[in-house]
Amino acid sequence: MRSVTLCFQVHQPFRIKPYTFFDIGKNHFYEDEGHNQLVVDRVADNCYLPTNKILLQQIKKHKGLFRVAFSISGITVEQFKLYRPDVIDSFIELAKTDCVEFLAETYNHSLSSIFSKKSFIEQVDAQRKLIRATFGYQTEVFRNTELIHNNEIAATVKELGLKGMITEGIPKLLGSMSTNKVYSPAHTSFPVILRNCILSDDLAFRFSDKNWKGYPLTVEKYASWIKRSLKKNENATIYVDYETFGEHQKKNSGIFTFLRKLPGVLIDDYGLEFMNPSEVIDTMEIHDVYDAHETISWADVEKDLSAWYLNSMQKEAIEKIYSLEPLIRKMQIRKHTDKWNKLQTSDHFYYMSTKGMSDGEVHSYFSPFNSPHDAYIHYMNVVADFELEIRKKKLFK
Amino acid sequence: MKKTKVLMLGWEFPPIINGGLGVACLGLSKALSKHVELTLILPKSDPNIALKQVDIIGLNQQERIRIREDFQTDFYAELENVYTLPANIAPYQTIAEPVTETKQVKKSKTKKVTRSEFYKPFQIDHLYGDDTIQKVIEYASVSADMCMEWDFDVIHCHDWMTMLAGVEIKQRTGKPLVLHIHSLEYDRNQGNSNNWVYQVEKHAMEMADAILPVSNYTGNIAVQHYGINPRKIHSVHNGVEKITSYKVEKPFPEKIVLFIGRVTHQKGPEYFIEVASKVLKEYPLARFVVAGTGDKLKELIETGAHKHLGLNIHFTGFLSKEKIHDLLAMADVYCMPSVSEPFGLSALEAAQFGVPCVVSKQSGVSEVLIGALKVDFWDVDKMAHYILMLLKDPAFAKTISDNAHFDLEHCTWEHAAVEIQEVYNELLA
Repeated sequence: MRSVTLCFQVHQPFRIKPYTFFDIGKNHFYEDEGHNQLVVDRVADNCYLPTNKILLQQIKKHKGLFRVAFSISGITVEQFKLYRPDVIDSFIELAKTDCVEFLAETYNHSLSSIFSKKSFIEQVDAQRKLIRATFGYQTEVFRNTELIHNNEIAATVKELGLKGMITEGIPKLLGSMSTNKVYSPAHTSFPVILRNCILSDDLAFRFSDKNWKGYPLTVEKYASWIKRSLKKNENATIYVDYETFGEHQKKNSGIFTFLRKLPGVLIDDYGLEFMNPSEVIDTMEIHDVYDAHETISWADVEKDLSAWYLNSMQKEAIEKIYSLEPLIRKMQIRKHTDKWNKLQTSDHFYYMSTKGMSDGEVHSYFSPFNSPHDAYIHYMNVVADFELEIRKKKLFK
Repeated sequence: MKKTKVLMLGWEFPPIINGGLGVACLGLSKALSKHVELTLILPKSDPNIALKQVDIIGLNQQERIRIREDFQTDFYAELENVYTLPANIAPYQTIAEPVTETKQVKKSKTKKVTRSEFYKPFQIDHLYGDDTIQKVIEYASVSADMCMEWDFDVIHCHDWMTMLAGVEIKQRTGKPLVLHIHSLEYDRNQGNSNNWVYQVEKHAMEMADAILPVSNYTGNIAVQHYGINPRKIHSVHNGVEKITSYKVEKPFPEKIVLFIGRVTHQKGPEYFIEVASKVLKEYPLARFVVAGTGDKLKELIETGAHKHLGLNIHFTGFLSKEKIHDLLAMADVYCMPSVSEPFGLSALEAAQFGVPCVVSKQSGVSEVLIGALKVDFWDVDKMAHYILMLLKDPAFAKTISDNAHFDLEHCTWEHAAVEIQEVYNELLA
């Protein structure tokens, strides 16, 4: 048996607005509502709705053989509810087919797995509850923010009672081992599925790159690559941003036609099976140890934490937001805890990256700010105001 | 007595300004016009601006300018051989941009210039930019031609952009040349000041009959770094327009320490961050605000982050005058750590708002703010010590700001105008 898992990351941050020194102490609303709504609206029309429709058609057409998985952050669900409830409805339609799996992750798409275990556990719990309440789905398999992973995180996820997790397959850690098998972290036994980064990036990054030798990528070509990469009893996990369809890769690139044809060709012409992550974990044995003693992720060339935690601004911003944790816990005011959680969203720190080259281009493609320094200045002003707010409350008490 | 007729050559003039030069030029023109007959030539003027008793001529608004066929811009090419200069000169730079590219100076001096080419530089929006030098040269030739048949007694130039024009007019007419020095290349470009602009300044100061630096500090630089005869130098301190000050209550309990100015090496912003770090260790209830932008801004932001001061150092970017006033209305201490500051008008503005000032000794304003706290720009320990005293001891802070109020009484443009008139009289006697 040879199989394929399709996973999609659905994420939109609550971006903060240009928040100046003159706002501190006066303006306690940090989100750039207009911009956030604009983005959700645009991506809903370009990607979420049309892609969901294609997936639904294909699921119905292949009568249970075609299956997909989604990881949707809590703050994304919140924004759909606020701005585009029709997107929620279309995910509910997909959920009803029983061919769709939803994955657990942190509610705020945060770096809490690295900087606050307590907050991490709370945020995972909150996202799982939200997914259950919204889509009627009980999540079983975990994926961390941008596939951030190490042995310790895996151990924590195991403690939470989840049955497995997904992370990045990094050649350096794999050595001669295949990326298409199930592994376990060091020191504890727990199923870990690895993302096949080559097959994933063929879609996410290279699909419409005219300088790529694989261009143009036809479904048949792609199917043959998948087939070639799989040995007997292996599963290839293709995990991309959902926004790849119609947003990063525009409609005129042919990405929708590609997606429409993909299930039929893989199932009928190449005899491959689709499996969702929980099914992979149920059917495949743990093959070996995947020892992530240092933190890895799927981001940038380095595939580590450096997309969010490298330069002095990123380190300062992260240090300051997590330094408020004791105060937040002591006060236990829902409104403040919510704001604190939202300020943990990894995107804020991603915008502060000063990396050059092609990674730098990707960072600035996503950033609402003119420069990493602007992103930092506005974020720190927000945190300064937030700190004032909670400190005032503390004095009052 | 017959009024002296002054031909004034300016570059920046409100509302078209980049920094303090235009503000000073306006203040001075207003005050001088009460004593002399003033004609002011500007590369670009706003048609809506009119001053009582000042004839303002904006080259951008001239319909016709008579140009002499035999005009030659010889003299600038005969300056010492300096072949490279920054292609993008922004002497009063406000926007962060690297100034690295260099370009050959064209030494061809007898290039025929058609009339339409003469107008071109004065039709565009920016006073500075890639072609600043071209604009400076054409301003010189056009204004020199324009004024040939005018009647005037003395030529009065502001900074290097108008110096070529001043020298040309002096050579043609033999009238005395007065150079008003608001800033020198040495201040703006320390350690690397042997460039074309420096040569223009040196040449013009040598040719001038009188030099009016805005401070003794700047006068000394002309003597020490340009070899200018000190007997020609008469420093005239800037005045300050009276501002109706006001107070704004801060929406937070922390005290504010303020830096206002371009974020460039000249203004010493990195010393401000170092001082912030020292002060905050002892007095955490403070916010340090950097208002301004410049080529050092990014580096400065990163340094602040590196020192873990992210929540207590705030960067506002470039601010309008109104916003600057709002900041001054909230501020508790004004700090000016300039490495080299010909004058430093913003310290006077701070003083007008009753904000106690700590200013660098390497500044002109320290000569007029007698009662302000003064330190060498590099002496961050002492600067931190003074700021801490001001933050901790309100009575001390009040004494310092009261002192400054007393000093401010002498800082008027009227005062400056009287001194300048004395210089004119000496030259014409």
